[in-house]
Amino acid sequence: MSESKLQRLVSQVNQIALNMSANGSDEMVADQVAQHLEKFWAPPMKDLITQRAVGDDIGLTATAQMAIHNLVKIQQAKGA
Amino acid sequence: MLEFYEPQADYGTPKSASTAMVTLSIDGVNVTVPEGTSVMRAAAESGVKIPRLCATDQLKSFGSCRVCLVEIEGRRGFPASCTTNVEAGMEVRTQSDEIGKLRRNVMELYISDHPLDCLTCPTNGDCELQDTAGELGLRSVRYGFEGENHLVAEKDESNPYFTFDPSKCIVCSRCVRACEEVQGTFALTIDGRGFESKVSASQAEDFMDSECVSCGACVNACPTATLTEKSIIEAGKPEHSVTTTCAYCGVGCSFKAEMKGSQVVRMTPYKDGKANEGHACVKGRFAFGYATHKDRITLPMIRDSIDDPWREVSWDEAVTYTAKRFKDIQAQYGRTSIGAISSSRCTNEEVYLVQKMVRAGFGNNNVDTCARVCHSPTGFGLKTTLGESAGTQTFASVAEADVVIVMGANPTEAHPVFGSRLKRRLREGAKLIVIDPRKIELVSSPHITADYHLPVRPGTNVTILNALAHVVVNEGLEARDYIHERCDVAEFEKWRAFIGDERHAPENTETITGVAAADLRAAARLYATGGNGAIFYGLGVTEHSQGSTAVMGIANLAMLTGNIGRDGVGVNPLRGQNNVQGSCDMGSFPHELPGYRHISDTATRQLFEGEWGVTLDSEPGLRIPNMFDAALDGEFKGLYCQGEDIAQSDPNTQHVEAALRSIECLVVQDIFLNETAKFAHVFLPGASFLEKDGTFTNAERRISRVRKVMPPLSGKADWEGTMALANALGCKMDYSHPSEIMDEIARLTPTFTGVSYDRLEQLGSIQWPCNDSTPEGTPIMHVEEFVRGKGFFAMTEYVATTERANRKFPLLLTTGRILSQYNVGAQTRRTDNSEWHGEDLLEIHPHDAEERGINHDDWVGINSRVGDTVLRASVTDRVKPGVVYTTFHHPVSGANVITTDNSDWATNCPEYKVTAVQISKVTAPSSWQARQKSFDKQQQGLLKEAQH
Repeated sequence: MSESKLQRLVSQVNQIALNMSANGSDEMVADQVAQHLEKFWAPPMKDLITQRAVGDDIGLTATAQMAIHNLVKIQQAKGA
Repeated sequence: MLEFYEPQADYGTPKSASTAMVTLSIDGVNVTVPEGTSVMRAAAESGVKIPRLCATDQLKSFGSCRVCLVEIEGRRGFPASCTTNVEAGMEVRTQSDEIGKLRRNVMELYISDHPLDCLTCPTNGDCELQDTAGELGLRSVRYGFEGENHLVAEKDESNPYFTFDPSKCIVCSRCVRACEEVQGTFALTIDGRGFESKVSASQAEDFMDSECVSCGACVNACPTATLTEKSIIEAGKPEHSVTTTCAYCGVGCSFKAEMKGSQVVRMTPYKDGKANEGHACVKGRFAFGYATHKDRITLPMIRDSIDDPWREVSWDEAVTYTAKRFKDIQAQYGRTSIGAISSSRCTNEEVYLVQKMVRAGFGNNNVDTCARVCHSPTGFGLKTTLGESAGTQTFASVAEADVVIVMGANPTEAHPVFGSRLKRRLREGAKLIVIDPRKIELVSSPHITADYHLPVRPGTNVTILNALAHVVVNEGLEARDYIHERCDVAEFEKWRAFIGDERHAPENTETITGVAAADLRAAARLYATGGNGAIFYGLGVTEHSQGSTAVMGIANLAMLTGNIGRDGVGVNPLRGQNNVQGSCDMGSFPHELPGYRHISDTATRQLFEGEWGVTLDSEPGLRIPNMFDAALDGEFKGLYCQGEDIAQSDPNTQHVEAALRSIECLVVQDIFLNETAKFAHVFLPGASFLEKDGTFTNAERRISRVRKVMPPLSGKADWEGTMALANALGCKMDYSHPSEIMDEIARLTPTFTGVSYDRLEQLGSIQWPCNDSTPEGTPIMHVEEFVRGKGFFAMTEYVATTERANRKFPLLLTTGRILSQYNVGAQTRRTDNSEWHGEDLLEIHPHDAEERGINHDDWVGINSRVGDTVLRASVTDRVKPGVVYTTFHHPVSGANVITTDNSDWATNCPEYKVTAVQISKVTAPSSWQARQKSFDKQQQGLLKEAQH
């Protein structure tokens, strides 16, 4: 798994969060970003970013970081 | 629909749209027709043909030839039936001795100045002049043939597709009027007066040097052999015809493929085709020769490495080889290590089969389509705001528009038949707002001047749209009743607070967009208050990092002003390729099944699982750029690419090429060895649109039949090739005809429930949704309510692209298309269309050129952050200072060597329209171009080895 691929995913999540920034509170935006990733991203992409975002500073903005946490929750709920 | 060749029925004058009916008597028989119908047409509709020369139902009546004279009880003289409208109780006689004498006399005059070479004339047997002489019983010409005449007038053979022989011209003006009324180019005129009158192209130039755009409308209209297709001169009159649908742009014109055996001798635009109504462009009308070009590859080929020669094999061997390699790859790297890319050039049935093979055969959802790189933001944006991923109108609806916004589209180049339709409405007085960085033709052309041209800086569309909406809201111009009745009011109020913010005021956006605040305010007022407002947009909207936001901004603007849900209004994406709408409808995106239903939806998945007999993966698959990244990471090893040239059309070519080189089994199904195929291990020969049955769905959701007019040169249509591969992979498919595939689509897709080949035969074409509640289709969407229920005003925050101009890369490159070429040019480059556009050029403003010491036609290097290429410069003020522009029709141009990986936030549609570059004068091709030339030579050599 290349670092450049991770960085591309980080950039994309940040970009999505930024473009959704007017949708509401940070929490609401983070939730919408997570839903967007769940809906459109393939599992290897979701797996990579959720695994690497936990505990590490990989360059996500605060809202994007929150979104990834929400994505983890979505995935956990699916797995439950 | 094979028919013996007959010219299409011609009623002499256009149909009247009136609903009031009038009854009259023609030759003693009562006839009832709509008010406003000409006597000529009324007669024709009742089965009586009145002889004519200057009249045709594609043009307004003109009344110049004096052949269509009739007698009307109570009227003096002999009125021309083409210019005389019916009246209640009118008694018309179309035949009498006196009428016959008058008509014959006119014909004698015409024939006295016409060559008597009918037997060797190319239109012998298909000539209205000849037919009319026969109908009138002309047996002699009293005036003789020795007088002054035009018989030695020089023939103009400059156009590659048709000739102009003035010696055969009767100066009926049909060609001139067709150029004006149908095409709207005004390239032809009648020069001189009296006996000196003659048809003239531009300023008495050859057709090729004139403003003529070779749409063929004049050739269609000509009643003699004056304007004749060279293919007809060469091959003679067709003997049968088949009605089919053009495989070029998203207009989806209907054509009669006119045949001699299995040879196409002419493509004639079909008058009953609802998308084009008898009109065509230079591509659809004339550029069909690629289908039998010598470069066609008709045998499957395989090789282990891209450095090996190709080996021609049977279909069975190619398919077995591919299936084994795909299975081996999945065994070694996992189920998700392979995928497929389908093409909007293929039929609905073909793209449906590709996604079915991937989901049911590969066992994953790694399927994507070229719509990813063009209109995927349209799908996202319109689904979010309106509830359906499609345009809202018919093309014909523009005839009811009062104000038209054309944004990021260039209809007269890229969607020319719609462009002509639009120009007709503009000539009638509709207002026009063009939002585009370039001065496209619609900004200023004969009889058309845009009321406002907003020359937006590339990358700032969202700001423009927000500013337009801001003006409407802050000046109280919104359609309040419509919004309260049709839209989600709570969301609207949130959006109104957002858009009302002063940062969106035109005075504050001026520095971002480069558009003067006063012009923007005036344009907003015009759109909001000018009557029916229709928006047409193209890739200049979608291919940005904020493409989806811009599409939502367009939908917001239309809802805000009440401009959705009836004729003359709407949101209309102009789709680049013939079947972009269809390929999206057919579930070609990795996250959704046919009918835009998400793969995670259990009920939908179960429906398909029941039909296909497999369990489907509930997670989305990889998008095209994800496939490339995964390939470079060693996780994606097998790709089936049908009809799409990703090596030329996708951005950042060097990245794409590296990805393709890392794929272990690349299968390309195409009609030519395209750029992608040079990296392939398996080549499956494709079929052109002339070689298969199926359907295309155009930009107005119109499903039209594609009909086989010749057998597939490779022995298989593309759907048969996919089916063979699927079966070899153990994914059972057993269709004997594409109609069975459509039946399956209809069983599984609520918006297609009523679609079948039988119904298409019956109705000609169908605009989906077509189901029990709309059995004949849905011309206008969202009439009573939006598909999603209440219209949703989406927030449209402007987030600037990270691709910024700076000192090193001070100019912004944007890309587009040109009339004579199509997309990557694989088809049109193999036709005479290249006479108009043999190479891609870089347009640069005189100021920017002068600063760099660049002259017209100089070779210039274009450097971006990801690559560089070399093109010839065209110094022009079509682009504004700071902006440069090119097309991408020729592989050697390397236009996408310089475009970046930036993409739309929601869909990953590439940001083709904004690349920061520097331009400098150079004397040699770029290093990439040198490598491309060398690689091309190697691959052509490996191909030749296979073919010897």
